[in-house]
Amino acid sequence: MRAALESLLRAKKLDVTLTATPGALAPPPDRLAPTGSPELDAALGGGLRRGHLSEITGVPSSGRSTLAVDAIAAATDRGEAAALVDTCDTFDPASAADRGVTLSRLLWVRESGDAPRALKAFSLILQAGGFGLVLLDLADVSPVALRRFPWTTWMRIARIVEGSDTAALLVGGERIARSAGGVTIALEPTPAAWQGTTHRARVFTGVVPAPRVVTRA
Amino acid sequence: MIPSYDDLTPGIPDVVDAETVKRLEIFFYRQLPSPPRGLIDPTAPAEPRQPPAPPLDLGSSPQLYACLACQRPTTDRQPQTADRQPETANRQPQTADRGPQTLLAIARDFSPRIMRVGEGEVLLDVGGLGRLIGDPPAIARELRRAIADAEADAAVAIAPTQTMARLLAAEGHDYPIERFAEIPVARLQPLETLPAAMNHRDRARPYLTLEKWGIATLGDLAALPAADLSSRLGRRGVALQRLARGLDPRPFVPDAETPRYIGRLELEWPIEQLEPLSFVLARLLEPLAIALERADRGAAAIHLALRLTDRTSHARVLQLPAAMRDPRVLRTLLLLDLEARPPSPLCGFGGTEAAVAAIDVVEIELDPAPARITQFSLLQRALPSPETLSTLTARLSALVGESRVGSATLLDSHAPDAFDLRRYAPEADVAAPVGAKGAKGAKGASGAMGAGATGAAPAGATGATGAMGATGATGATGAAGALVLRRQRVPPAIRVSVEHGRPVHLASSRRGMPSGAVIKAAGPWRSSGGWWTTQTELPPKGGSHTSSEHAWNRDEWDVALKNGVVCRIYQDRTTERWFLEGMYD
Repeated sequence: MRAALESLLRAKKLDVTLTATPGALAPPPDRLAPTGSPELDAALGGGLRRGHLSEITGVPSSGRSTLAVDAIAAATDRGEAAALVDTCDTFDPASAADRGVTLSRLLWVRESGDAPRALKAFSLILQAGGFGLVLLDLADVSPVALRRFPWTTWMRIARIVEGSDTAALLVGGERIARSAGGVTIALEPTPAAWQGTTHRARVFTGVVPAPRVVTRA
Repeated sequence: MIPSYDDLTPGIPDVVDAETVKRLEIFFYRQLPSPPRGLIDPTAPAEPRQPPAPPLDLGSSPQLYACLACQRPTTDRQPQTADRQPETANRQPQTADRGPQTLLAIARDFSPRIMRVGEGEVLLDVGGLGRLIGDPPAIARELRRAIADAEADAAVAIAPTQTMARLLAAEGHDYPIERFAEIPVARLQPLETLPAAMNHRDRARPYLTLEKWGIATLGDLAALPAADLSSRLGRRGVALQRLARGLDPRPFVPDAETPRYIGRLELEWPIEQLEPLSFVLARLLEPLAIALERADRGAAAIHLALRLTDRTSHARVLQLPAAMRDPRVLRTLLLLDLEARPPSPLCGFGGTEAAVAAIDVVEIELDPAPARITQFSLLQRALPSPETLSTLTARLSALVGESRVGSATLLDSHAPDAFDLRRYAPEADVAAPVGAKGAKGAKGASGAMGAGATGAAPAGATGATGAMGATGATGATGAAGALVLRRQRVPPAIRVSVEHGRPVHLASSRRGMPSGAVIKAAGPWRSSGGWWTTQTELPPKGGSHTSSEHAWNRDEWDVALKNGVVCRIYQDRTTERWFLEGMYD
């Protein structure tokens, strides 16, 4: 009876939403897209779920963009095609190349701050298919502009990506989509690390990201 | 009076473009040996030998021809005269009979523009195959493979002119183009167009004369003074020299038998909207796609010609990244292109103005190309197909602009944010190493510390770059914990309070920009470049960031604010104004 019910839920793509124990229906490894961070992948059960919409949230300088770029680097390193919809045109190719992104495999769509248009581009790429990872960067979009989107928008996006081999990813300041199937990686603010004593000899060495995986709304 | 060279040459059509002629002149005059001393003018001293020329770069040639020539076994390297041909034909009857038809079929597989130039000799225009197959050596390899698959025996040669291709192919398999000048002059005989009534003695006369002069190779003949040659051998001598220089005596005229894929529709009622036009395009494209499928071809380019009611015409050519024949994809690409570039400000074509002229004739021609063979791997995820990418790129370009979609390529520059945006083609770089990392070369940039040039701050900390920080600009691999810079493409001006030589407070009038007290700062790192040139002399960048197109001279700082934000700011040393370059995130 239980197996039949689970099979039915899986057929209706409601398995993750309604199943009580997430581990019981863990996706197989080929349905996961590793992020490139072993600790985070372990927390995620292997990586971001393909066919679902996941999110990375955090305040500025918490490492959210770095985490997203690492996920792109991991995807391109696996030979997959990746796409980035850059809503506010803030992507820095040099930094990404330093993090290991194969730029020739990354489709970069540069938008100049128009979030609805960026969302349309995001859905076009998801509909086209064939990409291992598609990322929509909404980190610099104001929360007010994001709240103007009807709540069905994210359901529609999740529906587009459902069942595909693509891992869809949002980057923002706060939780936006709250997708049932995907995960939310929340980054806590951490102090910056520096080397050197005086300002002339000091160097900014980055931060240690503190990701926390949130699976339920 | 001896006619001058100019008097004699106008009758010879100049069918090679000026650029090719110039490149061939450089190729010949720098490579060929000096003419034999004293043959033309005994008193003239021999010219000193020119330094060797660089190899002829076929990849950059505007025109490119391939010649397929049936090979007949010969006992020596003498020219195949009419007397010798029957003998060799008797020796290899099967090859002689089957070869020309096989070569024609192979040539049609590769190019729609083929021309039969002799028995067992086919020329094909391969100028457009570079995008589909690769560089000229790759095209030659594919042609040889096709010939071997067909069990034929033919030589393949690729050259910027028809004449060069024919002469090289006549020399046999794999004859290098660098040795073109060493081909015997007698090889020109089959290439000459002479009156049928000319007797054998007259045909051979200039060759005997050249032989007496000691002119044995094409290089010797090409190096002779043209005016002197004209005065002694007449117009035929000049024509021979043009052939020896690789110039074509006549233009390339494709065979009429080559199938063309054209659809044309004259509309009873002119069309003003995009939507009804899509039905017309579908009606034209579907039979063309079926015809392509029957011939196992795909479309490499779409030529669209629209005639408007005001008697003007609108023509567009869409170069496709791969041969494709799905009529829906082709129609979508055409519609997106028309939406972006309407023939006139029509309603529904992206504008709201009243219709100026409607469309009354639609004509589509597809350039056929060999159909694409796709081999998937069980070990690797499939990349988006070229059809998918073409449609997606066209849709995205229509949405955000053509120059804002693609894949980034780092430029070899230390200018901030120096990158180029190119067409996205992940399949073209499957085996490429990771990224275009490490834009190197100092280019005059000066940085005080390793991380200062463009953004890899931790690189300086790990000591990967040394004191001047030349490669630290973009080349060092990011250390663990290094953050990505969220770059402001147009850096906003900020107000910075400085105490004891370091920033202590940031303020900005724009909402969303970081501001507050500076709790920690690192810098300054001085970076400059582009002082040797002006704005117009620099190559255009893919990015819209204006500072990368100018000279730059600035002091950069990494600062941490009280609210936890770490950002990069800089002071322009020319204007002494402060700007926000980006935030680490």
